[in-house]
Amino acid sequence: MLIERQSLAQEIPAVAGQETRQLCEILAALGFPVDGVSTTEGTDVLDVDITANRGDAMSHRGMAREVAAKLQQPLTPLPDEGVNEGAALVEVRLESPACPIYATAILELGGGETPEAAQHFLRCMEATPKRLAAVDASNELLLRYGHPTHAFDADKIRGALRVRWAQAQETLVTLDGLTRTLTSQDLVIADESGPIALAGVMGGDSTKVTAETRRVLLESAWFDPKTVRAMARRHSLHTDASHRFGRGADPAMARVARDLLVARLQAWCGAKLQGAWTAGAVPQAQSPIPLSEGLLNRIAGEALGLDLAEASLVRLGCQVARDAQGLRAVPPSWRHDLTIPEDLAEEVLRLRGYEHIPSTLPPLEGPPEHLAPAYLQKQRVARRLAQLGFHQTVTYGFISPEVDAPFSGPANPVEGRTLANPLGYEYSVLRGSLLPSLQATAEQNLRQGARQVRLFELAPAYVSSPAGPVERATLAVVWGGILGGEDYLSPARAVLEADLTGLAKDLNLPARPPVHRLGEGLFGIEVAVADLPLPQDRIIPSFRAFSRFPSVERDLSLLVDLDHSYEALHGAMAAALPGDCLQDLRCVDVFRHKNLPEGRQAWLMRMRFQADRTLVGEEVDGWVASALAAAESLGAKLRA
Amino acid sequence: MDQLLPTEIIEAGGAFPEALAACGDLDALLRLKGAYIGREGSHAARLMDLLKTAPKEQKRDLGAAINALKQQWEEGLKARQAELETAKKTRAAQASQWDPTLPPPVPVRGALHPLNRLMDRLVDVFRPLGFHVEEGPEVETEAHNFDGLNIPEDHPAKASSDTFYLAAHPELLLRTHTSPVQVRTLLRVAPELAKRGGIRFLAPGRVYRKDEIDPTHSPMFHQVEGMLVGHGIGMQHLKGTLEYALRALFGPHTEIRLRPSYFPFVEPGCEVDVSCPLCAAKGCRVCKGSGWVEILGAGLIHPNVLAYAGIDPAEWSGWAFGMGVERMAMMLSQTPDLRLFFENDQRFLQAMGGLD
Ligand SMILES: [Zn+2]
Repeated sequence: MLIERQSLAQEIPAVAGQETRQLCEILAALGFPVDGVSTTEGTDVLDVDITANRGDAMSHRGMAREVAAKLQQPLTPLPDEGVNEGAALVEVRLESPACPIYATAILELGGGETPEAAQHFLRCMEATPKRLAAVDASNELLLRYGHPTHAFDADKIRGALRVRWAQAQETLVTLDGLTRTLTSQDLVIADESGPIALAGVMGGDSTKVTAETRRVLLESAWFDPKTVRAMARRHSLHTDASHRFGRGADPAMARVARDLLVARLQAWCGAKLQGAWTAGAVPQAQSPIPLSEGLLNRIAGEALGLDLAEASLVRLGCQVARDAQGLRAVPPSWRHDLTIPEDLAEEVLRLRGYEHIPSTLPPLEGPPEHLAPAYLQKQRVARRLAQLGFHQTVTYGFISPEVDAPFSGPANPVEGRTLANPLGYEYSVLRGSLLPSLQATAEQNLRQGARQVRLFELAPAYVSSPAGPVERATLAVVWGGILGGEDYLSPARAVLEADLTGLAKDLNLPARPPVHRLGEGLFGIEVAVADLPLPQDRIIPSFRAFSRFPSVERDLSLLVDLDHSYEALHGAMAAALPGDCLQDLRCVDVFRHKNLPEGRQAWLMRMRFQADRTLVGEEVDGWVASALAAAESLGAKLRA
Repeated sequence: MDQLLPTEIIEAGGAFPEALAACGDLDALLRLKGAYIGREGSHAARLMDLLKTAPKEQKRDLGAAINALKQQWEEGLKARQAELETAKKTRAAQASQWDPTLPPPVPVRGALHPLNRLMDRLVDVFRPLGFHVEEGPEVETEAHNFDGLNIPEDHPAKASSDTFYLAAHPELLLRTHTSPVQVRTLLRVAPELAKRGGIRFLAPGRVYRKDEIDPTHSPMFHQVEGMLVGHGIGMQHLKGTLEYALRALFGPHTEIRLRPSYFPFVEPGCEVDVSCPLCAAKGCRVCKGSGWVEILGAGLIHPNVLAYAGIDPAEWSGWAFGMGVERMAMMLSQTPDLRLFFENDQRFLQAMGGLD
């Protein structure tokens, strides 16, 4: 909302002497931060941020009320235009509780147009003066006093006016020229010919004021906020009027705004009032809201007391009475946001200034809770991977169905994971796997010249179920490119599947996860975080004795078929060796060369033995011989 | 006396200094030594033979001449050998020498994502105050995301222009804030709230809003929610906790400022500003010269939120706050474009992330 300094000062003279910067600080302290100040036509215009609950502050008068309450300075009284009401010239029937009051008047327009002062004000508000006095005056009134009004061309209205619910399928051409098909939840102003305005939202084209208009019928009513919000949303029609009515206008302003509008038209273009009248009445004030001293002091954090509360609320326009329980406040007709005791307490603190709130740490009432194992697990694995050289990524949870499909499989149909209103097709599916996102990120990094990509992500993957997508906390790792070769000691080589397998081993995965080949030299693994082994619950595991006798190492070079199973060979050899003395058995070299017999390769198997005694050569020779025999039984041969 | 010596010996003697200088290594020197003073076939050996057969009266002079010559050769060879040995030692020393300024092999290091680091840091900051971490699903129900938070049924945030909904499950949506974790947690702990003495937790996580991707908007971003429920909790506790936490985060001289604001799930509500951590509140581009930056929204829990979870607002009260992680990360790092956080260029991650 734009606020022009001099117009604000007309409502509250006390701010006239203040610097704009001071004024901004006062507004911010009241909960209306100023986003910016611009100088338009020689005056400062403030762009004030107004929260959705404060429709009453969306005008110069509304803002002035706040500042006046804060500074304890008087507001300029509203002008009494002395418009006398008489008999209705046109019957106005209020047929819905959504419109309890409808003040109106008919004027015959004279010559003359919007005065320069009003045009200047409108320009400061970034509104274009229309030079139609009735239209400009209505706009000016809205921005100054916050009450929306409307002017119809009185000669185009047929018969009585009804404020009623529309019938389904009725149509109305609104001022913007669009034909609106109405529903029974739309509140309209109608004449004999049908709807002529969407109540509180926009007037109709058939009755609009033009340069030819001779007589106007003014509307200054109050419409139910919820009804107006729903209409504005239904018709995507967000106007200044719907904004104000939608956030709650002041019903007591209906007559006042009508009078102000009449007076403006009389002054600006010599209009002659033919009659003014009002249908309905200002609705009953809200019931009083109680506020106890206990609640006030609890919220405030100090003993503010009800006297201060009463004084603050009175300054804000509440009617306050005291009783044994505390005080009871009836909010002013413009404050629809005040409904519960906490609201009143907030008002007291707000006027006093949040800077006065004391500061203290809350007492601990019970023992703190531990961090959940699932959370710690994610923290732990993320740190381990970062230490191993991997970069944590954050990618969007939705991807394109095409890239999702190869990784999700038929057991996880995309239909249960599809968004109704995605940003686009490529963001339409909650991903069943993190790998497609990581693959794209890896490829992007490689294209950007990275020699090696090491990425991981911890995020939910989604599995379709009848009740909706089930989230599974997931870890995915992608690794590719060239390892080493960045210094004079480390040779370069391509990242291989085996690297991913080794990484899985480092993470203590219970089962070897499948390694996905995501592209040339790019591999990935993916596991559910729940499948990662939990760390031991003992900080230090129980002691296991180890031998201090020397260990003995023996190598066997075995010729095996190219498709020989290492697991089978390893199992057979290990079974042939004494379990209590075998420390380690593993292949430490794979040799493939054209000099070897065709279809064969050489595996260098290393055995390490250790016992609680010094091992004797002959005894180890015997073990090695049995291991060789076991290998030979599977078709391996000792390499000469 | 020279006339007593054969011509070739005299020539060899004349060539000796040059031959000596030409010896580049000890092997060549050894060969030269053999040729001049070796036991057999050398110039010296031949001279000794000559001495044996020389007439008696010549022997004395000849002997002196031969000795002089031999001594000259031996001294020359010895000196040259010392020279060459020194040179060899120097080369050997150089060969085993290593230039410490050569780039060494460096252990690899990765990085946690800057957004995760920031969230972790917030958890670290609140841990000493007894806060733990609660997590909730990203696919939420309308009830948890809106209704339980006192958000009116016709609130614009519920519109499909603002919130992502699931096609097959119209009641499910992608949570638009971490606040539904409040609702879930309060519902869960409500029956045991007295026994456990209230609750205090943080809820970091990813949230979604239907914003087009541009330098300042992302359809997915992160929030950290904080909540505390206890007896007699007021605004002073909110201020005290945030003052503690933001000082832990930004330094002991940090000041905070509360300004009234409005969120449906709190009453009273406030925005919290922190004295600009980039310019020590002197005024800079980030704080637009004001010395303050807006850091989070907060307030006392609305009684309707407590009541929805089955907690009696007459007995219990509390506060809650919500903080945008990207906003803070961009402010602290001066990253010009929000998209960089989701592009995951390793150079960015390496520079902005860390290991803890
Ligand atoms: Zn600054």
